[in-house]
Amino acid sequence: MTLSFSGATGPTAGASWHPSDDDLAGYANGAADGVAAWSVESHLGACASCRSAVSAQADGEQLARNRAVLLALVAIPDGGRLRRLVCRCGIPDHLLSLLTATSSLRRSWLLAVVGVLAVVTGEAVLVQHLWPGGGPPGMTWHPGAAELAPFLLVGPLLVLAGVAAAFMPAMDPSYRLAVAAPFSGLTLLLVRSVSALVAALLPVVCAAFVMPGPSWLPAAVLLPSLAVCALALAAVTTVGPVAAVVAAGALWVVPVVWLAAARSSLEVVQGHGQALCAVVFVAAVLVVFVRRDRLEMGWVQQ
Amino acid sequence: MTVDVRNDGVLVEGLSRRYGQIRALDGLNLNLERGITGLLGPNGAGKSTLMSVLATVNEPDTGQVSVFGLNPRNGGERVEIRRRLGYLPQELGYHRHFTVAAFLDYVAILKEIVGRRRRAEEVARVLALVGMERFGRRRIRGLSGGFRQRLAIAQALLGSPELLILDEPTAGLDTEQRLRFRELLSNLPGDPVIVLSTHQADDIAAICPRVVVMLDGQVRFAGTPAALAESAAGHVWTADQRNESAHLSWRDGDARWRHIGDHPPADHEAAKPTVEDGYLMLSQTKEA
Repeated sequence: MTLSFSGATGPTAGASWHPSDDDLAGYANGAADGVAAWSVESHLGACASCRSAVSAQADGEQLARNRAVLLALVAIPDGGRLRRLVCRCGIPDHLLSLLTATSSLRRSWLLAVVGVLAVVTGEAVLVQHLWPGGGPPGMTWHPGAAELAPFLLVGPLLVLAGVAAAFMPAMDPSYRLAVAAPFSGLTLLLVRSVSALVAALLPVVCAAFVMPGPSWLPAAVLLPSLAVCALALAAVTTVGPVAAVVAAGALWVVPVVWLAAARSSLEVVQGHGQALCAVVFVAAVLVVFVRRDRLEMGWVQQ
Repeated sequence: MTVDVRNDGVLVEGLSRRYGQIRALDGLNLNLERGITGLLGPNGAGKSTLMSVLATVNEPDTGQVSVFGLNPRNGGERVEIRRRLGYLPQELGYHRHFTVAAFLDYVAILKEIVGRRRRAEEVARVLALVGMERFGRRRIRGLSGGFRQRLAIAQALLGSPELLILDEPTAGLDTEQRLRFRELLSNLPGDPVIVLSTHQADDIAAICPRVVVMLDGQVRFAGTPAALAESAAGHVWTADQRNESAHLSWRDGDARWRHIGDHPPADHEAAKPTVEDGYLMLSQTKEA
């Protein structure tokens, strides 16, 4: 509804313009949108004739109710410009509201992720700068691989931690309300997990661009990250969330550490490693799909 | 009036639930009709477990639950139960960065109230019900315990539920707030089924037409508060001195000793039993 201050209701002392009759009627019956209603609301304080006009159209109780709704509309956060932008891309507003309860989408969490990545990346850049020829003297050195090991270890784990925080009941203080609500538990879990996945993957991929590794590294961390997260989600349909996340994390840590010690950590994101991650990812997604009822029943059992 | 609780209330038959070695519910049977039913019992009696099962948060090991004729084991019917449900768990946590309105908006979305204006209307309505109209923009972390409890009650009222499960809703409320809460529950429109768990026997006596006493995961009493009080008739007496044979003894407001026990002395001065006396007598009988 567009508010037009047409002056149709006539001049009054202290007010040089007035809401139209339609605006006043909309305010009185509660149909006016937030901006129009607030404009009328603020005008009424200074204009006796418009107050009379509104009073003629609705009783005091109705007006008090309208005002309470108006206050609630203002109090419910709209999420700012970023959220409005995402809404324009077709994401329903109410789904975005659900994300406000996701710990791993909070600024403090994302800053912590960026902090960890900065340390790991800085260490790798420093190593390459100090020993550009291939590592400290006396050490077995796999060119371009050893300095990548901490990043390859931590990157997917950070993504996993973000996704885990999005679905673990322990991270949602009001999760019992979510379980007892009619909103689909599976949808809630997926909306939160995918959002957390994207939010964590972005800094990891950005860090991969800065790392002194091969140029394909940013693309190479995507599939392992997805596979580890999907594995955790699949496992949570069978075991508790902590066990699921620990198991998925361990299945990433063990090969990375072993390859870093025995051969080259880079192998974990090369040919066979990527193929294995693809298989794990597809299998995990299938498990989540087949066992989706387990997630609908009580979201995730503690 | 006889009510078919299978379609118009809640029916529980042979409900059992274990947590490891602990038997929280032990073959419990219960009918809950429309109106307020008070649930009394000591800690560990199984009240919260029963409420979480009724709220479809917990799944029983054995037994049947029917809520308005719907079976919570069936996926579609479970969602339908949740659409009619308002639930206040015993320990409701909050996202502390939320404002009051944002939290209620979040719960309203979970209750499938999708339109922003419709949600605002519901948020405004429940805030008015608990007397927090002007608290919408306040952060939850800045609220006192009493106001947080009122907020917890408000979220349960979103969507005007037909089944309202309130686990210790008056914990943390001061006397005036408790009285307002009683008034609020008594005036809820639509005659919902309300299950109210509390340790406050006077809350039960004040607003519940029915009371259920749970001990060791079983129903030990189901009836009116007056009948519960009457069950202690002949077992409550007052005296100037403490009587060692009584199960429980305490000084009342007149500095006389009030006793509850199986065998009052011959010269005892009988006292009119209260709901609390009836409950204490039941729980002491069980311990004996």
